[in-house]
Amino acid sequence: MNEMIFEAKDLSRSFTVGHRVFGDLANRFMGDRPPTVLRAVDNVSLTLREGETLGVVGESGCGKSTLARMIAGILPVSSGERHFRGEPYDSLLARKRDALKIQMVFQDPLSSLNPRLRVGEIVGEAAVLHGLVPRSRVKEYVIDILARVGLPADSLGRYPHQFSGGQRQRIGIARSLAVKPDMLICDEAVAALDVSVQAQIINLLMDIRRDSGLAMIFISHDLSVIRHLCDRVAVMYLGRVVELAETEQLFASPAHPYTRMLLDGMPKISLERRKFMPIKGEIPSPLSPPSGCHFHPRCPIATENCRRTRPELREIASGQVHACLNVEAI
Amino acid sequence: MSTTGFNDFAQRFAESRTAVISLLISLVFVACALFAPLMSPTDPYDLTQLQLSDALKPAGSTRMLPGEEVRANIRFQGGTASVEPASPAQTRQSITAESCGANCLGVGVAPEGTKLASLQIRNLPAGASVEGGKKHIVQPWWTVDNPEDGRVRIVSNSQLPENFTVLAIAKSLDRETDFVFRLGTDGFGRDMLSAILYGIRISVFVGLVAAGAAMVLGTGFGLLAAWRGGVTDAIIMRAVDFMLGLPALLVGLAILAILGNGVSKVVLAIVIVQWSYYARTARSFAISELGKEYVEAARCLRLSPTRIMLRHVLPNCMPQIIVLFTLNIAAAISLESSLSFLGVGLPLTRPSLGMLIASGYEFIFSHKYWISIYPGVVLLVMIVAMNLLGDRLRDLNNPRLDR
Ligand SMILES: Nc1ncnc2c1ncn2[C@@H]1O[C@H](COP(=O)(O)OP(=O)(O)O)[C@@H](O)[C@H]1O
Ligand code: SF4
Ligand SMILES: [Mg+2]
Repeated sequence: MNEMIFEAKDLSRSFTVGHRVFGDLANRFMGDRPPTVLRAVDNVSLTLREGETLGVVGESGCGKSTLARMIAGILPVSSGERHFRGEPYDSLLARKRDALKIQMVFQDPLSSLNPRLRVGEIVGEAAVLHGLVPRSRVKEYVIDILARVGLPADSLGRYPHQFSGGQRQRIGIARSLAVKPDMLICDEAVAALDVSVQAQIINLLMDIRRDSGLAMIFISHDLSVIRHLCDRVAVMYLGRVVELAETEQLFASPAHPYTRMLLDGMPKISLERRKFMPIKGEIPSPLSPPSGCHFHPRCPIATENCRRTRPELREIASGQVHACLNVEAI
Repeated sequence: MSTTGFNDFAQRFAESRTAVISLLISLVFVACALFAPLMSPTDPYDLTQLQLSDALKPAGSTRMLPGEEVRANIRFQGGTASVEPASPAQTRQSITAESCGANCLGVGVAPEGTKLASLQIRNLPAGASVEGGKKHIVQPWWTVDNPEDGRVRIVSNSQLPENFTVLAIAKSLDRETDFVFRLGTDGFGRDMLSAILYGIRISVFVGLVAAGAAMVLGTGFGLLAAWRGGVTDAIIMRAVDFMLGLPALLVGLAILAILGNGVSKVVLAIVIVQWSYYARTARSFAISELGKEYVEAARCLRLSPTRIMLRHVLPNCMPQIIVLFTLNIAAAISLESSLSFLGVGLPLTRPSLGMLIASGYEFIFSHKYWISIYPGVVLLVMIVAMNLLGDRLRDLNNPRLDR
């Protein structure tokens, strides 16, 4: 087994929704309004090994992007610990050049590129500022990286709006690669693209991973993409990880009822990429999640106990880790 | 901004005729400001060139050269007269004297026939007088206004003394020059056209410098508030709310009342009034930019907060800030003019447009309208043009009005 590159322990992140001052005032004068605190990520623990790809899957709003930003070190945690190669983030982030080893590719190919900067600067800026390449050689350096992501050298002097969606995402990937990361977090990196373009970008990411041995966290709500790319998969529901398993095992024998429902909604034979089938029942509001197991209002095997007890992640015989009180019962 | 982006912008801008005309007018004013010394017929700051005789002349009048004064001592000795010129030496006329019979002495100027405003004879011997002359109440001075042919006669009923000396002072008529005051003159005889051109220069200069300084300061505070949030944001924004709640003119008056007047103080007053607009705008647009993923990407690239704010966020807020700047130049100019009009702005020796309007105000009821009206019209046109220009830029920047 490879060395551990990243470890997260009990990561949580809450947001205060609405204007804090007026929210408090309103609470004071109108009595029993519930506090407007949203737990976007709730006690999530993850590990990632060198060269490994971990998938994170879950419905929209379940906290994937929040988790990704905390792992990337661009969003403070409410509680929990993050370690990169054994070093806590607090000290890592203080040394900017080392913190560059963790990079992220964003979902929206347009808004993730500064519209006022030319591609040359978007890609080369950080490398120059952090001294990875002297200013005099940055042009060749950037052209080199653009070639790696399949963009022509003359992209250098152009602006993001002059490119197609797929090309923009390539620029975003080039920007990350330019600072030589060891760990790449892809937050729905292909979700905004056309299906044909999605395949190209996924192939590009696989090439990069093969060539440089990057560790990756690949976030998606598209199960077939996850299955194609990842070594292990974490399934999230309303801010919590409900199942964590090797990809093969997860798709062969899902343990958690939520995972099963996700897979049931997936076309059986083809590799055709599909979004989730809608699952029965509304997705509860993350502002007031159901008690006990968050999934109980939609769970076919929910019992009375599920309303009261929060299920903890535990390992079952097969080596899968899941958070369900009743799975053994099936 | 890329060139295609700019061309597109220029094209959309040009769709409004008003905007194009406003732009042209604004550019003309900027040119006036830059080239006032080359364009203006006189230097209105050169007080030595001013003549009170030119004061309050209406548009189209010509400048008059004041008449010269020639003095000469005329000495009589045994019936013959000799002339000793006194100051000044360099004149067009000279004084002549000759006898005109018994007890009569003619005094005149050469060349003959020169029109004089007056010819004064002083220190006549007792008993003598000047034909057609008025005697000074106290002094032994006789003055003849507009003497015929420029000569007068000293006569006496009794015998004139053998030897005596008189002083003759000849004043020639004012002469017309071919210099025309195209917009008339003010109360000091200053050419209004020159004064207005220099006034535009001062007003535009004060407007640009003040609005520019307010832009830098206000944008800085706005970015700081957006980036730091929390207490910093609250303090800055309460200060902004406070400033926005006060009438600009009142704040300007209060500041200048404390500091005294002068260009730098007027600029300071305008900056204190205007920074809050930029702070509010910069903050709100910076906050919306900070929410975009490219900022998170920059953070992930471990760029410093200063670099993220100045290199990434600020350029994306610039269009809105530039619009505000255009509108605020006009506001700064009008505020400066108001303050100067109220007498707390710029000093009288270097008048801005507002000062000119104020200085004409005392004459407006004596039908000397031009001193106030012309600078007033110029100010009006300038402010309207800049406001229309700013409005157009704002409309072009407003995504909701995008077609
Ligand atoms: N900055 C924020 N302020 C308030 N709420 C937020 C913020 N970011 C995310 N959230 C909320 O947290 C939840 C999880 O969001 P996110 O992590 O973006 O989910 P996902 O990426 O899985 O769609 C959502 O309900 C979202 O509304
Ligand atoms: S804990 Fe209960 S509600 Fe939650 S998934 Fe398991 S059975 Fe369903
Ligand atoms: Mg997301």
